[in-house]
Amino acid sequence: MKVFAADLHVHTALSPCASEEMTPPAICRAALDAGLAMIGVCDHNSAGNVAAVQAAAAMLPGEELAVIAGIEITTVEEVHVAGLFPDAAAACGAAREAQESLPEVDGRDSRFGEQRLMDPEGAIIGAERKVLHMACALDLNACVALIKRYGGLAIAAHINRPSYSVISQLGVFPADAGFDAVEFAPMPYAPALGFDLKDLGLPVLESSDGHYLSDIGSRFCGLEMAEPSFEELVLAIRRSGGRRVRNA
Amino acid sequence: MKLIEIAEKLQLKNLTPEIKPDPVTDVQWGYASDLLSDVLAGASAGAVLVTIQVHMNVIAVAANVDLSAVVFASGRRPDETVIKRAVQEGIPLYGTEETTFDVAGKLYKLGLRGHRA
Repeated sequence: MKVFAADLHVHTALSPCASEEMTPPAICRAALDAGLAMIGVCDHNSAGNVAAVQAAAAMLPGEELAVIAGIEITTVEEVHVAGLFPDAAAACGAAREAQESLPEVDGRDSRFGEQRLMDPEGAIIGAERKVLHMACALDLNACVALIKRYGGLAIAAHINRPSYSVISQLGVFPADAGFDAVEFAPMPYAPALGFDLKDLGLPVLESSDGHYLSDIGSRFCGLEMAEPSFEELVLAIRRSGGRRVRNA
Repeated sequence: MKLIEIAEKLQLKNLTPEIKPDPVTDVQWGYASDLLSDVLAGASAGAVLVTIQVHMNVIAVAANVDLSAVVFASGRRPDETVIKRAVQEGIPLYGTEETTFDVAGKLYKLGLRGHRA
């Protein structure tokens, strides 16, 4: 077993709130510079740039970066749920279903930010037509079920965040929601809950929730596993076969 | 004002008729919020909560804060498992087509007031 540094929640320029500098090649370069062996690409309600980041990683000369296909779905309760999938097709399938209820972009939505679709070189090849900053019609349970149906891992995103987290929206952590892990993002929020958020009985993934290049790897976890792949990540999260998640 | 009178005056649909209404206690406080962390932190014991949040956790939070009832506004309705849990916990649930704004206004007119715990 080896320990691989992983930041499993990184946005691209597809997310309206992310910086335009978050192009596929720039993300891969920043991830390697931060010493990461694995990243997860999780844009809001879309997986349209996942394949481009994976292709950009494959073009890195002599260096290895595993790019896990992901999505960050906003549920009807306005809870952010990250999904990590075996491949880009699965992430896109889940994204398509999550997006069904979202309206098309009109002129007023540009103030929320651009939604850039990019190629592996970072050239803009289009724009996502659905409004990505809004909540989908899926409730939390339906969202977790959707992720599972596409073979994914469901992660309660940034549960230490005072907005858009399971804790902020639902007050207490629903133990039966079916999450595979909880994520901590780099922020000081410490709600007076009477219990430790790290003590929910689920693996804790430390991630950057990066929206800017300088965010990437600012918080990360160590994955003790045989190789940096989705299959091994699943084992680490399930604490199976000697694999596990180690936080800094 | 008793909960049962409030429900009558606002023509609320009783989603938990299994729960016997409390004939003694006057409801004094109201709270309107869809963020359950905010309800936990801010709502006072005995308050009526007006919300569009229908997740199961509404019941856990209502029991924790000791709310006197929950009113689901804007036609939102929790599913059966939520209603069942509310009956177990003894939390009366009501539904209305009116918006949170209108329900809160009518509760205020009946004498209920906002009150932060």
